[in-house]
Order: sequence, then structure tokens, then C-alpha cells
Amino acid sequence: MATDPTISLKIRTALGEYLKRDPAVILVTQHLREDLGLDSMAVIELLYRIEEAFDLQIPDQDLVGLTTVGHVVTYVEKRLGKPATPARTKKPIQPSKAKGKKKA
Amino acid sequence: MRARVVVTGMGIVSPIGIGVSEFWKAALAGRSGISAITSFDPFPMDGYRSKVAGQVRDFAVERFIDSAHGQRVDRYAQFALVATKEALADSGLQMAKENPHRVGVIVGAGMGGMVMGEREITQLYQQQKPHRVHPNFIPVITLNSASGIIAMAFGAKGPNLTISTACSSSAHALGQALHCIREGRADVVIVVGADASITPLVFAGFCSLRALSSKFNDHPEKASRPFDRSRDGFIMGEGAGTLILESATHAKKRKAKVYAEIAGYAATSEAYHMVIPREDGVEVAHTMRLALADAEVTLAQVDYINAHATSTTIGDAVEAKAIRQLFKSRADKIAISATKSLIGHTLGAAGAIGGIASVLALHTEQIHPTANYDDPDPACALAGLSHSAQDRRVKVALLNAFGFGSNNAAVVFKQAGRKT
Repeated sequence: MATDPTISLKIRTALGEYLKRDPAVILVTQHLREDLGLDSMAVIELLYRIEEAFDLQIPDQDLVGLTTVGHVVTYVEKRLGKPATPARTKKPIQPSKAKGKKKA
Repeated sequence: MRARVVVTGMGIVSPIGIGVSEFWKAALAGRSGISAITSFDPFPMDGYRSKVAGQVRDFAVERFIDSAHGQRVDRYAQFALVATKEALADSGLQMAKENPHRVGVIVGAGMGGMVMGEREITQLYQQQKPHRVHPNFIPVITLNSASGIIAMAFGAKGPNLTISTACSSSAHALGQALHCIREGRADVVIVVGADASITPLVFAGFCSLRALSSKFNDHPEKASRPFDRSRDGFIMGEGAGTLILESATHAKKRKAKVYAEIAGYAATSEAYHMVIPREDGVEVAHTMRLALADAEVTLAQVDYINAHATSTTIGDAVEAKAIRQLFKSRADKIAISATKSLIGHTLGAAGAIGGIASVLALHTEQIHPTANYDDPDPACALAGLSHSAQDRRVKVALLNAFGFGSNNAAVVFKQAGRKT
């Protein structure tokens, strides 16, 4: 997925801080819930940080499509008016490699 | 025959130590945990009449709690988690071997998550950005956030309750836990008292109420002086105390160490005034009498009273009057001490911490000093008070706790194995 490296890094850094992980190991293809283990409350906390980082307000109806790191990056780019990426926010979710992994 | 209930574990976070042994060592030495509030960063203290408090210094929850639970809650609930971890380890209770539905949690908290509460409210009013209110604001400030996170952290699925009766909250938590086990609704109840609200708004509120000491701002360690002639108000404190209560049968079955029995409890209301006690002391005396009757203990058997004694002019005098009224000439034979002289008034935590001091008095037969009891106020002179530690045979201890809203609690502990 082609993305703005600055935005992507900022989002992965926010995630890294939240998850106490190196941002380098967080991939845009990762699913927030299934791969990164974020529960619904944690996703809301993450989006709260992202709203602050990019001075955005994310309306409730937009939350549905934000299921992977890449979706969040694409969404933020779109909201900031960065045209660089061809990636679509409604791209189907890739099957997780962490199947059977228990919820956090 | 009703079930006997015993104390099998304790844990504490206090201004004079984190951990029961550190707390008790400091308490017996009469060490004060009261210090100056340097600032409510970046907020100067100039406008505050009182400038001292019993603060838990250099507390970082991650030093004690590995899981994410500690990060999701406010300071008071972090204290509660840390005290509970210690108490459970001390009790030897292994949750994996317990039926989790038979382990309850009852927390007493007066103010709750005020650190985040104040910050978010301030930001909202200053910035007028409702969407910037933190998503955790509601779960954190809800008063049962501590009882909830304790259940989650330790896997206790029994009754999960929070009692908020201001300064007596965790004395009532002890009493309600006693009832819960007596009634067979749980084998074990984790009883916690916790508060951490030395925050700009709450502190200002107590200042405005003229409830806090302001004469000893330059000598913080002298500011909390229950029953002393020059006392002039209470000192805010913060902390948490946890006691593991369980049925004596359950404790015996798992060969647990038993510190003491919790034998009686009474709860009353003075139905009088939001913040002022009845000056005749009748209701306080009545509450103590009811708790002793519940414990099947006579007046003559009481050896120690852990007084509520906050260092306010009226409150201490009323309590002393009530003790004299109830115990008559025997009042002077009872050892008495005021834990708040050492750590200040920890509000919702005070009952549990006073409970720990009572249990330790039974267990070690030592009474901690009442700091700064240098010049006994004739209005509340009782011979059993001392500014030094006392070695006493203690078979029965009585804990008093009174709260704003005109409510009183008394709890009775007995030496373990005592048949009275």
C-alpha cells in the first residue's frame, strides 16, 4: 500500500507508544484487533491519539472502515487532503495470519 | 452458629511506606508522612490556606503491576491495585485454586478518580473542545473503577461493590464484607480502601470548607495533631489499604496464617448535619456499643481503640467525649491512637488503613504513637493516648470511622483464636 511516509510513521509511532512496541515492527497490513490485539476500547483510545496528532475529528460513521493500520493511514491522508495514495479505505480486510489467536 | 471471619492478608500504600512492614516500622517510630505541597504543577500554592499533605512520594504503578491494568485507571485505583497485590501475596491465597465466584471485592472510596477528572474538566472548560475529552474519562472517574480493575487483575468473580460514605467508606467496606461472608455469599472478600485526591480542586474545596489545618504550613510534620490542644484541622492524605477477609473455615482448610478475627460491625447515621458531628457524642457512643454487641464483646474487654481522630477541633472532642460516655472510668485504661497523626486523613482509605493498624496492634501487641500529642487538650484527654509507642496486651480492638453526610461506622477485631 503506497502511503505518505510521514503520516504512516506518525500513526505507527502512536500505536507503538500505546502498545509499547517498536513502531518498526508495526505493519500497515496489520489488523488492529486481530493482529495487534486492540479491543474496541483500545481502538477508540488510539483514534483519540490520532485525532490529537493530526488535529482531526473522526466522526462515528467513519470508524467502521478503520480496521487495519493501513486503513487508518489512508483515512488520515484523505482527511488531510494528501492525494498520493491509490489505496482505498474500503479495501477488503486481508485474512489474518494470527488465526485462532485469542482476544486480548 | 454464624460464620467467623478472619483477616489473612494485608497490603498498604501510604505516605510513610509502601508495604505493611515498612508502614508499621515507620508508624511505631512515629515518623510523619506529612510534607509541603510544593505546587500543583504549574499551579502555585499561594492562594491556598493550607499547604501541606500526606503524600505518597515517587509512586509509579509500573514498578508494582506488570499488566496494563495499572495504566487504565486513576491514581487511587493504582494504589488499590498495589495494596491488593501485596495483600493477596501475604494471604497465600492462590486464585487458580479458588472458585472465583466465591471471591468478592468491596472497595471503599470517597472521591475516586479525581486526578483525571479535574484535568479533563479543566481542559474542556478552557478549550471548549468536547471531542478532546479522553475516552477513558467516564470509566476512570466512575467510583467503582477500583473494584472493577481489582476483579479483572486478580480474577475475583464474586460480589463486586463500592461503598462511598466519604471518610468512613472503607470501614463500611470492612463491615459489609463481614456480613457478606457471614451470610455465606462469599468465602473470601478483598476489602480495599483507596483515595488519591490531593488535587487542585479537591484541596481547594477542603480549604474553603475550613476543614484543613493552616497553622503549621512551615512545619508540616507537626500539622496533624489529633487530641492536642493546638490542633486546627485535618491534613489531607492519600493511600490505600487492603485486607483479605475470609471465613475461618475457609482459612483453616487452606492452612492460612490468621492475623485476627473481624468480629463485629455497626453502621448508623446521626441524621444531623452534612459535615458537623453531634456535639453530645451520643450517636458515636451508640455506634461503638452496637459494634461491640455484634462482636459479643463487653466494654471491659476492649483494649485498644483506633480512633477516627482527624485533628479537627470539634471532631476529636466529640469522639473523646463519646469514648468516655460509653466506657466511663475504663476509658483511661484503653490504649488509643490516631493513625491520621502520621499520614493525614486518607479519606476513603482511612478505614482500611486504620483497620490494618488495629490488626497489627492485635498481632504485634504494640500501639503506634499519636504524633504531636504533646499538650493534651482537656476537652479530649484520655490516659491511653501517647505520643510514644506503647507495648500493650491487646485482645480486642475497636476501629472508629465517621463520614461527611452524618454517618458513623465502628468495627471490632479480636485476637485470632480468642473465644470471647
